[in-house]
Amino acid sequence: MILHIAKRELYDHFNSLRFAFTVLLFLALMIANAIGHFGEYTTRLTEYRTKVAISLDKMKGHTDSLFSLMQNGPGQLYKKPSALTFCADGGEQFLPEYVEASNPTTHGMIASWQSPGEEPVLIRNNWHLRYPQSNPHLWNITPDYTNISWSAIISLLLPFIAILFTFDAIAGEREQGTLRLTLSNSVARDSVLVGKFLGAFFSIGIPFVIGALINLFLLYTAGGVPLGANEWGRLGLILLVALFYLSIFIALGLLVSSRAKRSSVSLTILLLIWVVWVVLTPSTLGSIVSGLQPTKTIDELDNYRYQQRENLNAQYPLWNAKGPTRAIPATEMTLLWAEYVQKEADLNEQLHREHLTDQIAQINRARTMTRISPASIVQYTIESLAGTGFAHHLSFLEAVHRYAPEFRQFLLDTDRTDPKSPHAPYVPEGASELPVSFSEIPKFEDPDRVSTDLNAALMDILLLVLFFVVLSALAYLSFLRVDVL
Amino acid sequence: MFLTLLQRELLANLISFRFSVAVIICLMLVVTNTIVLIDDYENRLASYNTAVNKHQIDPDNVRTYSALQIKIDRPPNPLSIFNQGLDRRLGNSLVIYYTYVPALWDTVSHSADNPFLNLLSSIDLVFIFQVILSLLALLFAYDAVAGEREDGTLRLMLTTSISRGTILLAKYIAAMICLVVPMIISLGLALILSAESGSFNFSGDDWVRMGGILLTSTVYLSAFYLIGLLISTTTRRTATALMLSMLIWGTLVMVYPSLSVFVVNRLMPVDESRLKSAYREIEQIWESFEREQEDFLKKDPVEGEEINFNVKGFIMTPSISNSNEAKLQYHISRWADWDNIFPESEKQIPHVLAFYQFIEPKRLRAAEKTWQVRAQALEQNYIRKANFTRNMMRFSPAAMYDLATEAWAGTDFDGVEDFMVAAQQYRQTILRYYRDKDAFSSRQWFAVDKGAVSWDDLPEFSFQRAEATTSALRAMPDFAMLFLINVAVFLAAFLIFAKQEI
Repeated sequence: MILHIAKRELYDHFNSLRFAFTVLLFLALMIANAIGHFGEYTTRLTEYRTKVAISLDKMKGHTDSLFSLMQNGPGQLYKKPSALTFCADGGEQFLPEYVEASNPTTHGMIASWQSPGEEPVLIRNNWHLRYPQSNPHLWNITPDYTNISWSAIISLLLPFIAILFTFDAIAGEREQGTLRLTLSNSVARDSVLVGKFLGAFFSIGIPFVIGALINLFLLYTAGGVPLGANEWGRLGLILLVALFYLSIFIALGLLVSSRAKRSSVSLTILLLIWVVWVVLTPSTLGSIVSGLQPTKTIDELDNYRYQQRENLNAQYPLWNAKGPTRAIPATEMTLLWAEYVQKEADLNEQLHREHLTDQIAQINRARTMTRISPASIVQYTIESLAGTGFAHHLSFLEAVHRYAPEFRQFLLDTDRTDPKSPHAPYVPEGASELPVSFSEIPKFEDPDRVSTDLNAALMDILLLVLFFVVLSALAYLSFLRVDVL
Repeated sequence: MFLTLLQRELLANLISFRFSVAVIICLMLVVTNTIVLIDDYENRLASYNTAVNKHQIDPDNVRTYSALQIKIDRPPNPLSIFNQGLDRRLGNSLVIYYTYVPALWDTVSHSADNPFLNLLSSIDLVFIFQVILSLLALLFAYDAVAGEREDGTLRLMLTTSISRGTILLAKYIAAMICLVVPMIISLGLALILSAESGSFNFSGDDWVRMGGILLTSTVYLSAFYLIGLLISTTTRRTATALMLSMLIWGTLVMVYPSLSVFVVNRLMPVDESRLKSAYREIEQIWESFEREQEDFLKKDPVEGEEINFNVKGFIMTPSISNSNEAKLQYHISRWADWDNIFPESEKQIPHVLAFYQFIEPKRLRAAEKTWQVRAQALEQNYIRKANFTRNMMRFSPAAMYDLATEAWAGTDFDGVEDFMVAAQQYRQTILRYYRDKDAFSSRQWFAVDKGAVSWDDLPEFSFQRAEATTSALRAMPDFAMLFLINVAVFLAAFLIFAKQEI
């Protein structure tokens, strides 16, 4: 019986204006998306490889002595572009594509002076991690509109179309009297509901999936996007999540349609729910929550950093002291200088990291709150699955933070093997001057992380399930109690 | 008779479910978003004030004419709560220096804003009206004629002596009242909230601009109502009318603007080769400048290392060259701040004076030439593309509305350009000040041993947003287009309705 009703619904929909519109819309958007991303991934990958090569080249230039490498660090560490940017661009253009792991300035000097009758003292900064704060938006004068990516099509348009297909599903039949007719036969109410659900689901889902497949076909054959097992797995999951998200709104549509007296009332309610819940909630809530606890202003930040540096300098009263020497074993002064330079770099790194943590916390709070709207949830899920966006940026940062100590440890270990070194690294006099073999240095590579991406998406998928269960249960109950007259 | 009809329509709309729900939601959204927007404006104003204080010239650090670099800041626009446009996101701090003509591409941001915040999209009042009220307009319109025809009341009405035009007009006016009143109420609430906060000082011109925004919003809503009315007169059944209205709304408001921006952006990439050739041209300008400098120094009997003419006693002479290919930034400058010149070097000083007197006018000329190349390349690569995108968007009334209100509020590209023009004029003022002081041929151009420059009579920078009439002129094309859409659609609806069999 369910199948009968579903079939009837499907035939009805296939002949309707809205179905033609849906097919056209999905095709137009998916083809535009594909054409817009032709060759895009190849370009970005080439850029990424060039930049990494330049950065490694610079590192190679520092391998003539261990100290040089120690002072200048590994250079810029780059984030690998994802092949699935067309699914969700995740605001990639606003996210920095690298972390700076080099010396702040080539001539950066902490201290330099010459006491009468002594060697000049020259103390330089050490490298530390810094995070680009620039905003690429400052010169972008094109109008600000939503990017046409899969995630925009899914999160905004699928619900809109689901509403157009379901608002009159029950209210409309009641108005025409056909609902009474159907139920007067020995058809169970739940099979009517499930039949209607399936009818709407397939008549939206089929054009959507076809559009997506055409999009993938175009990108795969002509767009230079490599689709391996990994990508197909991710894409399959994205499509599943999209269909699941679609069913949330079909359930919502059926719920409202069974409660509302007339189909026009049902549509009004549904559209307003859509506008508020899907279109406006993510932005408004995001702005409200991120405004509650803003990060430090530029003045506060400068003062705080100045204070912290002063505190450190107070602990090391080294001004006009004697400089480090190359004596073995290292003199007390050499060790003190080495400790100071290291502490200074650590402090700088810590200060940058603290600010980054504040910034991330601000965004994470906003993202947590916006999960009230399933549109945000599905957007975050698709970003995680596509390996783009904020979640991906965080795991890139995590990889950088794992790499930096590894790099430092390698240098310290290498220094220990050199008998001619005073083993007071971070000042030129205290560290090994032997060349380093470039191939042995640990290199940074942004790893491909299927499991972390899946983990990040899992919570959001569970939330979507919750939304679906609640809404479909409500729709079921409300239809069982519906007054047919 | 007309009044009775109007009254009937008005009452029918007012007691309808869609009206009350839409009004409540509109008010709720406007109030919450206004609070967010006011907070955001206040933060930006605070950053601006801090920046202005910080960017005052410090006479202890800036002591010679050649070291004079003035940082100027763009104040946030209070009308950005209506339409944020480009006001919030474009760079708002700029260095005025004599060796280059400033452009938008030289700006930086004066706040420590979290760059990740760009991931969250922001909403302004115009966006709320653009989405919600246009939807409401269509919801009012779809059954205006089709519904009455289905109910049979239309036939009844036409049996009396009422003309068809009167019926249509009464429906139109009643619906417009029901649409405009909630809009005015929510705008009023927004204004009360911003007056409460105390950080908004609206000038007389600003009130005119707000009037313009209100008027444009009315015309926009009317356009959508009339589109709905046209659909309602042409379709047999309300269900069809409703479906068609929603599909058209989805296309015009949600899909088309984004789609056009996306397609134009992707299919019209930045012309790298054009940028590169412009950059090379600029490099050549500065290479020939450096050649002139070398030629001069070759003829000079005492040259010394690093153009210091063997003057002893000063600290250092930094030389700066700034370059960025994508933004076409390139200039070579040198500033000097010599103190304690030893007496034995005094005879060298005339050579230094002669050098600067010769080279600085050449540097200014190189800067002007650079600007000619740069302005053209920036225009061709970035501005033209942005304008083309805007023109493509204009096929949707929603985009027209957005662009027109942006122009009224002064947060459009022209509004930001006004600031750039003011900055360029300010640079000219500084150059005049240099000329009046004979700065290039003075000792204080490079040395402070005979006293630092006093900056008491340095002209100050001030920036006024364009007058309301200028804003009106900028908004006019989009406003006129919206108005024309109104007229055309109304005529079409009227003609179809007049000839229709009932």
